[in-house]
Amino acid sequence: MDIAAIERLGFEIALGAYLISSILFILYLSSKKRRLADMGFTLTAFGFAFQTLALITRWFYAGHPPWVNTYEVMSFFAWTVVGAYLVLNIRTDYKSVGTLVAPLAFATLGFASLQPSNPTPLIPALQSVWLLIHVPIVVVSYCALFIAFVASILFLFKDKQLSEQRTLKDKRLLKNRSTEAMRALSQEHTNILDKLSLTQLDDLAYRSVAVGFPLLTIGIITGAIWAEAAWGSYWSWDPKETWSLITWFVFLMYLHAKTQNWSSSLAAYIAAFGFISVICTFLGVAYVLPFLETYISVSTGLHSYAGGGDVAGTVFFCGIVGFVFLLLFMTRKKPPHASDTPLAEATPEVTQVD
Amino acid sequence: MNIAIKLLTSTKFAIAIIAVIIALAAFGTVYPGGDAIFGSWLFLPFIGLLALSTVTCSLTRIRPLWRAVTHPKLEVDDQFLQQLPYHTKLTGVAISQFKAHLKGFKWYESTSSETTFVFAQKGRIGRFGPYIAHFGVLILLLGVVIGAAFGQTNPYNDTITVIPVGGSQQVDGFVLRLDSFNVSYYDNGAVREYRAIVTIIDGNQVQTRDITINGPTNYKGLTFLLYGYDSQGVIESGKASWVAFQIKNDTGITLVWTGAAVTLLGIMLSLYISHKRVWIKLYKEQITLGAISNKNVVRFLKNIDNLCAKLEDHS
Repeated sequence: MDIAAIERLGFEIALGAYLISSILFILYLSSKKRRLADMGFTLTAFGFAFQTLALITRWFYAGHPPWVNTYEVMSFFAWTVVGAYLVLNIRTDYKSVGTLVAPLAFATLGFASLQPSNPTPLIPALQSVWLLIHVPIVVVSYCALFIAFVASILFLFKDKQLSEQRTLKDKRLLKNRSTEAMRALSQEHTNILDKLSLTQLDDLAYRSVAVGFPLLTIGIITGAIWAEAAWGSYWSWDPKETWSLITWFVFLMYLHAKTQNWSSSLAAYIAAFGFISVICTFLGVAYVLPFLETYISVSTGLHSYAGGGDVAGTVFFCGIVGFVFLLLFMTRKKPPHASDTPLAEATPEVTQVD
Repeated sequence: MNIAIKLLTSTKFAIAIIAVIIALAAFGTVYPGGDAIFGSWLFLPFIGLLALSTVTCSLTRIRPLWRAVTHPKLEVDDQFLQQLPYHTKLTGVAISQFKAHLKGFKWYESTSSETTFVFAQKGRIGRFGPYIAHFGVLILLLGVVIGAAFGQTNPYNDTITVIPVGGSQQVDGFVLRLDSFNVSYYDNGAVREYRAIVTIIDGNQVQTRDITINGPTNYKGLTFLLYGYDSQGVIESGKASWVAFQIKNDTGITLVWTGAAVTLLGIMLSLYISHKRVWIKLYKEQITLGAISNKNVVRFLKNIDNLCAKLEDHS
C-alpha cells in the first residue's frame, strides 16, 4: 500500500468516526442516555487516532507541514479541535461538550474532503520559516477560541434552563403541591448539562480565551513579521489582517468586560461573537469577499493564496455562521408571561417553599 | 475637564471605543472601497482616543497599585479577614510552618503587644501585566507614527527601481548591481523560487547577496525586496532582462516590534500570573487566616484549605 493511500484511509476513517459520533451525540441530546455520550466520546478518540496517522503520513509524503492548502488547513483545524476536546476530558468530565465539537469536526473534515487533496508545492511566498510557526499558532488559537465559544453557548443554555426551571417550579408549586409534581420536577433537573455548573462553564470559557488570545497575538505578530519580509510592509489593512485585528479587539473587549462587575452572560455573548469574527477571518475573507469582489468590487487583498472563491466554501461559511446565530437565538430567554409569574395573591405559605 | 478624565479612565468607555473600532473596521472590509477608511479621519481619531484612554487609565491606576503591593496592609482586623474568600481559625499551628510550606512567597511581619501580624504574597508582577501591555501598545503606536512621519524623509523610501540584468543603480551613496536572476520550477511546472543575486558596492566595500521572495536584504537602513521581473522575457527566452526592486526605509519598525513584544509579555503576565495573598493574625496561640487570589481562585483556595487542614492535623 502506498503512503498516500494510508493517509487517505486514515482521513476517511476519521471522517466516518466523527460522523457516527455526531449522530450518537445528537441521539444523546434527545434521549439523555449517558452511555450514548460515552460511546460518542470513545468514537471521537478513535477517529482522532486515525486522523493523527493521516496527518503524520501526509507531512511525510508532501514534504511540507500539513497546513498549506485548504484541504490540509481544514483537516488540521478539525484535528486541533478534537485534540483539545480530548485533553479537556483528562481531568474533568466534559464529554457533553462533544455535542458541539463532533459535528463541527465532521463538518470541517467533510468540507476538507470536497477540496483538492493533492499536495501543492510551496509557492515562493510560502517558503519561509514562518510557515512552520505562524500557521499552527493561528490554527491553535482559533481552536481555543472555538472552545471558548462552545463553553459560552453551553453557559447560555444552562442559564436559560435554570431560569426556566425556576419559573416552572413557582408555577407548579402554586397549582399543585402533590409529590408527583415534585418528582417530575426533580427529573427535569437531570439533563445533559447536569455535570457542568455555570461557574465551571464560565471558567472554561475564560481559560480558553486565556490560551487563545495570547496565541492570536503571537499569530498576528508573526504574520506581521512575515508580511514585512515577503511584501515589505508589516501591515497593509489587507482583509485577512483587518479581520484578525477585529477578532483580537473582540476578545480584548471580552477580557476588559471580565474586569467589570457585569453578568457572565454578557461575556458569553462577546465570546460567541468573537467566534463569528474568527470564522470571518478564517473562512469569510477567502469565501465571501471574492463574491463581493465579483459583484461590487471589494478588495480581497494579498492572502488569496489561501484558496477561495469556491461555492462549497461559501456554503460552509454561511452554514457555520447560520448555525452560530441559530444557537444564539435558541439561548435567548423567553420573557415571562403574566400567567407564569407567581400571582400576587398567592399565600405567603406557598411562596416560602422555594 | 474632570468629566473628560473620568471618562478616559473608565474601562466601560474603553470598551465602547473598542466596539466602535470593530464596527468601523468590519465596515471597511465589506463595503466597496471601504478600505480607504483605515487611513482616514473617521478611523484614526478612535485609535487616538483608545490610546489616550490607555494612557490615562494606566497613569491613574498604577500608583495606587504600586503602593498597595509594596506597602501591603499588615495590621488587619477580624472583620477584614472574614470578608476574604477564604478565612479560617486554627490553633496550635506555628507561623513558621506556613513559611515552610508556602514556597516562593514574600513575607512581611509586624508585632504589636500580644498580636503578631504576618502577610505573604506571590505573583505581584501579574498585577502589572495589563499596564505593561498598555505600555507596549503605546510603544507600538509610537513606532507606527514615527514610521509614517519620518519614513518619508528618505527620498529612496517606498520607491521601485528597475535594474537590467548585469546593470547597476546608484542608491543613497552606494551602487546596487544586479548580477543574475533565476527562476526555478517544480516538476509540475509551478514556480519554486525567484532568486536575484546582487552586489552592493560602497567605496571599497563589495558584498554579494541573494534576494528571494521571503528573503529581502538590508543595507544602510534600506530594505530591498523583490518586486517584479520581466516575465515576458522568461516566457519567450527563459531569461529575464530586468528585475524590479522595492526599496523601503521604516525608521519606526524597531519600536513596532519592541512594542509588540512588550504587549505580548504584558498579556501573558496578566493572564498567567495570579497575585496570591495570605494574611495571618496570631493572638494568644489562636491563628486567624485569610487568603485571596485574583486569578485561579478555586485552586489556590483549595490548596490553602488543604494546607491548613494538614497543619492542624499534625499539631
